Amino acid sequence: MLELFSLGDTGWGDEILRGLLVTAQLAVTTLPVGILLGFFAAFASLSRFVPLRALGVGYTTIMRGLPEILTLFVVYNGVGLLLNSLVQWLSPEAGSIDFSPFAAGVIALGMVFGAFAGEVLRGAFNALDRGQIEAGRAIGMTNSQVFWRISLPQVWRFALPGLGNLWINLLKDTALVSVIALDDLMRMTKVAVGVTKQPFTFYLLACLIYWVLSVLSELVLAAMERRANRGVRRA
Amino acid sequence: MTTTDCVLEAIEIRKTFGPFEVLKGVSLEARNHDVISILGSSGSGKSTFLRCLNFLETPTSGSVSLHGQEVEVRNGKPANPRQIEALRRRLGMVFQQFNLWTHRTVLENVMEGPVHVKKEPKAEAREKAEAFLQRVGLAGKTNAYPSQLSGGQQQRVAIARALAMEPDVILFDEPTSALDPELVDEVLKVMQSLAAEGRTMIVVTHEMGFARQVSSETVFLHEGRIVEQGPPDEMFSHPKTEVFERFIAKVK
Amino acid sequence: MNPMDVIVTYWPRLIDGALMTIRLTLLGAFIAALVSPWLALVRVNTATFIQAPIRVYVSFMRGTPLLAQLFLIFYGSGQFRPELEQWGLWDFFRDPFNCAVLAFALNSTAYQTEILRGGILGVPRGEIEAARAVGMTPIQVLRRVVAPHAYRIAWPALGNEVILLMKASALASIVTVFDLMGRTRQVFSRTFDFSVYLWAALIYLCITATFVLLWRFAERRLSPHLSAADSTAAARLAELEARP
Repeated sequence: MLELFSLGDTGWGDEILRGLLVTAQLAVTTLPVGILLGFFAAFASLSRFVPLRALGVGYTTIMRGLPEILTLFVVYNGVGLLLNSLVQWLSPEAGSIDFSPFAAGVIALGMVFGAFAGEVLRGAFNALDRGQIEAGRAIGMTNSQVFWRISLPQVWRFALPGLGNLWINLLKDTALVSVIALDDLMRMTKVAVGVTKQPFTFYLLACLIYWVLSVLSELVLAAMERRANRGVRRA
Repeated sequence: MTTTDCVLEAIEIRKTFGPFEVLKGVSLEARNHDVISILGSSGSGKSTFLRCLNFLETPTSGSVSLHGQEVEVRNGKPANPRQIEALRRRLGMVFQQFNLWTHRTVLENVMEGPVHVKKEPKAEAREKAEAFLQRVGLAGKTNAYPSQLSGGQQQRVAIARALAMEPDVILFDEPTSALDPELVDEVLKVMQSLAAEGRTMIVVTHEMGFARQVSSETVFLHEGRIVEQGPPDEMFSHPKTEVFERFIAKVK
Repeated sequence: MNPMDVIVTYWPRLIDGALMTIRLTLLGAFIAALVSPWLALVRVNTATFIQAPIRVYVSFMRGTPLLAQLFLIFYGSGQFRPELEQWGLWDFFRDPFNCAVLAFALNSTAYQTEILRGGILGVPRGEIEAARAVGMTPIQVLRRVVAPHAYRIAWPALGNEVILLMKASALASIVTVFDLMGRTRQVFSRTFDFSVYLWAALIYLCITATFVLLWRFAERRLSPHLSAADSTAAARLAELEARP
């Protein structure tokens, strides 16, 4: 039984580890993209400029209402089609090109993360204590000093639990890219199942690996929250 | 301006919120070492006036000048934001709700302004911050977070934070109104000692004892206008208007 | 390509798929709604060692991708085919629809349990004590005070959970259930008309929007004591008190 999971030619351990690596790469690459999009979305939806606000609210509302897998297909097929027609238009004799599933995964999952993060950050900005911002302005801070030294550290504190949940959702959502043929943990598991004919064993293994990642993330996030909340609650 | 020792002068400050005119032209002059108490019932506009002095509220019209340097308001907007930042650096402010930065320790709260606004060297700012904390009786709390302090202690940290900027004038916006009764005194004592040091202060307050005994001048605001103004003893013993008389009777 | 062409030709399929999506979602959410209150009560009221299995279950369901859970049930059951045939369960597990509903119900049960646990913990202690003080039995306290209050608190979060489940139900298409996503992919593979995805997105958004409206309507019915009129009055009172 353990033979199945060994690392050499006989077992599937190394294939599954390679898949895990792709999953981790995908999640880690998507995270900054998603957070950046989240900030843009939050700023847009808090903006006083109506078209910008409509854009922000529209993006977060629509994106959060769509199945992630649909977003993934839209990006994968849509951007693929767009790229191909662009290439055709630039040089008609060139063959068709393939849009990398990894890039599609980063864009689609980043857009999803960004929409949810936009809501989390908007809430965090709204939760800021006006008085503390005024105290900064009252000692003559510039607007950018107030933002970087008072607002942002506190927004971070308010947003951390929400962003932490989104990170765990992101980890789980990476499994979707197996459907567009990216060799992540889920897809390598599927390959192993195809050969060994032991679907329950291998899908259970995959579940356990995701579970470990989630629980580890929760532990790290709890430590980060404790750090961010230094001094906020009574000791 | 005629007098040379005039530090802060506000001329004809008006402020409207939507259809409501909260301030209907209020002028005030603070000379060196003045302690001015601003009194008035809820909705008289006294806090709004104080907040107009450092432009936390932008007056609809009027002007504020510090040592003769005027910040002008045109069309309900200050002409130059840099001017306002410069003004605020020299006006300390103590808020009703303390408004300490919850993510920073007591010492960091006090050092923030000197280090990041006035760009003083850290070591020097730390030394001064510790001295100011000692001054308000909180030398032992430097590494505590605001949430670990009582309201009175938080307000004293807020006073130290204002002092650390070495301001020309300190504005107090109902500094004891949010405190439990038994904590009011420790804050008033600090304020009294600051007055004794000769600091220039403008205090919006409900503490009649403080207004009578500590301030050099009292101002009574009613419906957005100054109704009475003068030395506290005279004002309290011989109120000239009926509204002020009623006000004194009520708060007694 | 005119985006109208594809909807004119294929709308019956997409509607059919949308109905399947709704069926999957409601069935999964409903089964979970039957099971989760009991688990939530156990989570709140019993000793740690009795709770432990529920906590592990909830953590597993929330910590692993729904897709992996679905594969574990649908494909994984094949590994035990002889046993399942023996017990007469194979016909159930052979059908992707059944497996999808089972996976969604198991998954949603975990989330709903946590939501209801929060609701139960949010019931003010004083109201429970008041109920005991008038002589209610524990069952009466549960039925007449705790349950209505807890559901009232949990209601918005439960609505969110159903919407999340509706979105997640698109995964059923991967195990060949012809829900809205499945139909959409089928149409795309025939026509290569990209606009079918946009139509699908529109239908998903319509389902979500309708559901949100219905849920809010139910919320108002559920809590007449928190009607809009009252809350504006409360807000005005708070505003007056906050004045300087």
